[in-house]
Amino acid sequence: MKVMRDDLHVLTGSYVLDAVSDAEREEFERHLQHCLSCRAEVRGLRETAARLAMARVVVPPARLEQRVLAATYRTRQLPPLPSERTHRKFPCRLAILAAAASVAAAVALGVGELSAQHQLDRARETAISRVVTAPDARVETARTSAGGSVTVVTSAALRDAVVSSTGLAPLSSGRVYQVWVMSPSGARSAGLLHGTSLLATIAPGDRIGITVEPAGGAARPTTNPVAILPV
Amino acid sequence: MSRPQIRQWQPEPAPPPDLAALLAQVARGDHRAFELVYAELAGPVYGVVRQVLRDPAQSEEVAQEVLLEIWRTASRFNPARGSAAAWALTIAHRRAVDRVRAESACSRREQQAADPGAGEDDVAEVVEATLEHQRVRRCMDGLTELQRESIKLAYYGGYTYPQVAKLLGVALGTVKTRIRDGLIRMRDCMEVPW
Repeated sequence: MKVMRDDLHVLTGSYVLDAVSDAEREEFERHLQHCLSCRAEVRGLRETAARLAMARVVVPPARLEQRVLAATYRTRQLPPLPSERTHRKFPCRLAILAAAASVAAAVALGVGELSAQHQLDRARETAISRVVTAPDARVETARTSAGGSVTVVTSAALRDAVVSSTGLAPLSSGRVYQVWVMSPSGARSAGLLHGTSLLATIAPGDRIGITVEPAGGAARPTTNPVAILPV
Repeated sequence: MSRPQIRQWQPEPAPPPDLAALLAQVARGDHRAFELVYAELAGPVYGVVRQVLRDPAQSEEVAQEVLLEIWRTASRFNPARGSAAAWALTIAHRRAVDRVRAESACSRREQQAADPGAGEDDVAEVVEATLEHQRVRRCMDGLTELQRESIKLAYYGGYTYPQVAKLLGVALGTVKTRIRDGLIRMRDCMEVPW
């Protein structure tokens, strides 16, 4: 039986509570592979379900610990799975470094005639270079449901992040891609997505989302994100 | 007869150990790190399995399988996808539910299915003096009756959403929706980071 998309999205809750049949679970997991907003929702609801378990602590009999610990000595562990994005880390980062460097160079060339706007741009580019060259810079790349991919470089020490995108589907006039910093207290706008943008005051656990919004941007996200990335 | 003792709020315990970091050590075969993981997770794992299965002997057996599974598959835990506790408790709940479904042909389970009270949180030994217990109870109170019953029957009762719909006498679509919006409300009420 083919279930409609909307129906599948409503299944996020039942899925994390294991209240679905095996066939539905498989179908939903296939759907999850290309539904970023569903994945984000599943993640939050799964953490919520874990709280339901943590609210039901029962102290197990002491013999359980002896049995489990003894069993670990005769149980071989599984090897790690091949990493999903390690091989992409360096190319991404180098590409951003190159982009940042070329912008910095362009700004440096015009150094003789620095207007106020130029000075602002230059301060911005310097900040971007600082993030991408920070010793603790972390790179996350995700495909977007609007095609192409988005890369976020974060420095926890600087509390800044840099977002850049490539290959996103062009939007009809009157619509723009907007960047959001999403935290448990809500989403705050980080401006429109064009070229490489700098995001300030990022906290651990924040996530970066990209949505399609009316020209000029919206005060709050009004559509499902085309991409969500951890920082 | 003396009055039942009222439990005191316990002071905030020392910050819990970093489970994700401990699991990385466990993945490298560190038995000492596993003991610490056990100390953190055995209570919630046994608790949730017991909630679903009820039978203490069977719950002990399944909890043992789950805790050993955590040892065996520690290398598969990916911190980018969620917390270590959520990873472990997902395994625990799923195992408990698998056990229930494998047995669902048995008459014992069918009898329980006729009793909507089976979703109630009545396992006697539940430790109520945990922060999480208080928080979940408070946030559950903020749900509608239907949201609360649907979530309890599905998670604590181990029922599928069609079974929940039957027990509550409401449409399938309604149960799916109530489970989802109820959980979203719980997530926001408990300020779960995600």
